[in-house]
Amino acid sequence: MNASNQAVVVQHVTKRYGNFTAVSDLSFEVQKGEIFSMLGPNGAGKTTTIRMILDILKPDTGSIQVLGGTINEQIKDRIGYLPEERGLYRNVRVVEVLTYLAQLKGLSSGEARQRALELLERVELEENADNKVSELSKGMQQKVQIITAVLHKPELIIIDEPFAGLDPVNTQLIKDLLYEMHEDGTTIIMSTHMMHQIEEMADRLLMLDHGRCVLYGDVQGVREQFASNAVVVEGEGDWAALPGVTAVEPGENGREFVLRLAEGTTPDQVMNAVAVGADYHVRRFELAVPSLNEIFIQVAGNGNNHHHRQS
Amino acid sequence: MSWQKIWLVLSREYRYNFRRPSFLFTAFGVPLFSIAAMFLVIHVVTDRETNLDNYQRIGYVDRAGVISADAPNQDGYQPVTDPAVEAPGASASEAEQTAYYDALEAAARQQLVNDQIDAFFVITDLYTLTGQIDLYGIKGPPAALRDNIEDFLRDQIVAQAPDTLPVSTARLHKPVDMTIRDLDSDDKLSTAALIGRMLLPFVFVFLYFMSANTTAQFLMSGVVEEKENRLMEILATSLRPIELLWGKMLGLGALALTQAALWAAGALVIAVLYEGAREFLTGASFQVGDIVLIIGLFVINFLLFSAIMLGIGASSTAEAESRQFAGFMTFIAVLPLALSSLFFMNPDGSLPLFFTFFPLTAATALIMRMGLTSLPNWQIALSLGIQLVSVLAVMWLAAKVFRLGMLMYGKPLTPRTLWQALRAGQKTLTTAQDEAPVRKPRKKRSLFRL
Repeated sequence: MNASNQAVVVQHVTKRYGNFTAVSDLSFEVQKGEIFSMLGPNGAGKTTTIRMILDILKPDTGSIQVLGGTINEQIKDRIGYLPEERGLYRNVRVVEVLTYLAQLKGLSSGEARQRALELLERVELEENADNKVSELSKGMQQKVQIITAVLHKPELIIIDEPFAGLDPVNTQLIKDLLYEMHEDGTTIIMSTHMMHQIEEMADRLLMLDHGRCVLYGDVQGVREQFASNAVVVEGEGDWAALPGVTAVEPGENGREFVLRLAEGTTPDQVMNAVAVGADYHVRRFELAVPSLNEIFIQVAGNGNNHHHRQS
Repeated sequence: MSWQKIWLVLSREYRYNFRRPSFLFTAFGVPLFSIAAMFLVIHVVTDRETNLDNYQRIGYVDRAGVISADAPNQDGYQPVTDPAVEAPGASASEAEQTAYYDALEAAARQQLVNDQIDAFFVITDLYTLTGQIDLYGIKGPPAALRDNIEDFLRDQIVAQAPDTLPVSTARLHKPVDMTIRDLDSDDKLSTAALIGRMLLPFVFVFLYFMSANTTAQFLMSGVVEEKENRLMEILATSLRPIELLWGKMLGLGALALTQAALWAAGALVIAVLYEGAREFLTGASFQVGDIVLIIGLFVINFLLFSAIMLGIGASSTAEAESRQFAGFMTFIAVLPLALSSLFFMNPDGSLPLFFTFFPLTAATALIMRMGLTSLPNWQIALSLGIQLVSVLAVMWLAAKVFRLGMLMYGKPLTPRTLWQALRAGQKTLTTAQDEAPVRKPRKKRSLFRL
């Protein structure tokens, strides 16, 4: 792939703290314009990896390229970052904090202020622009913090747990904001534990465990990679009588059934059998693909499984 | 380094800290308080001591017989009389004389209580030997009244002086007219200027200390706040730690100078308003070289203290914790002021000399000694050298501590951890969950077990 299409390239990076290896021989790439998700259990090395991408920490070995080069101050100005542990100046007015932080990223005072007011209106906080940060609710502060990461129109946004502390309405508000930036070509790297958000938003993912990559690839590919030879059906019929079906298990919602297939039997063959069978009435038929949550538990729960799977 | 980002941090730190109530109180409150105190001294205390409006009727009882009818009299000074008390004749016995004066004294007391006179004094029997005068008043008589009585009696003595005296009666009245002059300029120095010459360095050191210490503590609490609020990580991706560090130090340095300027303006206002204060300020014997030295010391000492406070802020986890360390540093720095009596007694003594060469106290001790003694050049040079080396070393260490400790949330940067990190060449330490170095707990050794 052309290097100019990559927003981040991490190659064989290792980081140790004393005897503890936080990140071990990690390699991955983030394409420009995609939503890339990093996930993993606590202590997997996500924060360390993000800090190394941002040049807050130096890797012991390996190399990292960001937005086409080794990171420097000019490149840093093209990145928006929201760390997991975050906060703002508490006794300062919201618009002042936003303007200051955007100015540090290279915006002029007037431009920073205007954009801050625009974004505050976008997240329905325009009336709080002159309030002190300490006067805002936790959810409001969360929205202001997210604005700090996007205010200077960065090319790359690295955002840790973007939806933590937000109610469903505000989650959708922030999601729409991120989608909007994504449509404008901004690359988004997000680290989150909310699997359904990854399934919904991310193009590709990287799962870390004990500092190593355990899953890496496009979200749908990863799910299919973990798919067992089974289909999910909803409807009426004698499912066990179908050729190649070895077991029938009730599904999660009580109306569906999971049909386990014999080795060599493909879902297509089963679908054909259902289609020609007069006694079958089908409302839904799909591959039994596990949710990312199930995959996460399966991979992260197996602490000794350190093999690298790539879809 | 990006000077634009340093400027942004500088102006933000300046504006934010300028609006702090504690700064506003120190910067504006101190000059206002001084002006108010001056007003109080001049218009209330001084007025009370100089105003004789309430002391127009002064009585006296002359037991010593020194009051002469020939001497010029003070307006309102009258011998105490009482129609009920009859003056003894020329041949009256000593006991009759004593009884007469006792009766006059009793009458004077009564007249004072009845508001017939405002005060009275008794020239005692032994006045010619001891100069003893007893003064009575309802409230404490003002200093001006005491001076007037002194003048009154001096006039009496001068009136009785024989013509054969080798000096004029004017000299008897005022034997000395002393002029104190400056050694270098030969200018006349007033008493206020003389006091100013001695005290001004102390006043300056005190104000300087307040200014530097206040702003350096702002620097520390700012760093702690950014750590506590987890802003440091965002800042770390927006500018270099060294840019943040310089921006903060310069911003607060500018704030310290603003504070000093406000105080200087306050001093000028006081000087314009009050003659005494003007004379006090003219007592400053600083030459141009001294002023350059003082400004240099101010800058070096501010950098030293702000670097120390910055290091404390970066290595602490909470403001309360950092204040404990800062308090200890302040205690050491304030020692020369606290022990200023030692400087007055012997400015070249061993302790003032030690303070002159100890980095944390060198600037204050040097300035304090400037007003009290003639400082040898080698002492100034050595003290400056020690301060310069110290400030460079402390700033280097503060920059390291700042970088190492800025992401240490909820975990202090201990000297041991700092030493290990410096030896290992690490630049940033973090307390990200489960990412801190895992160390085996040290085995506890019992003194009683081999």
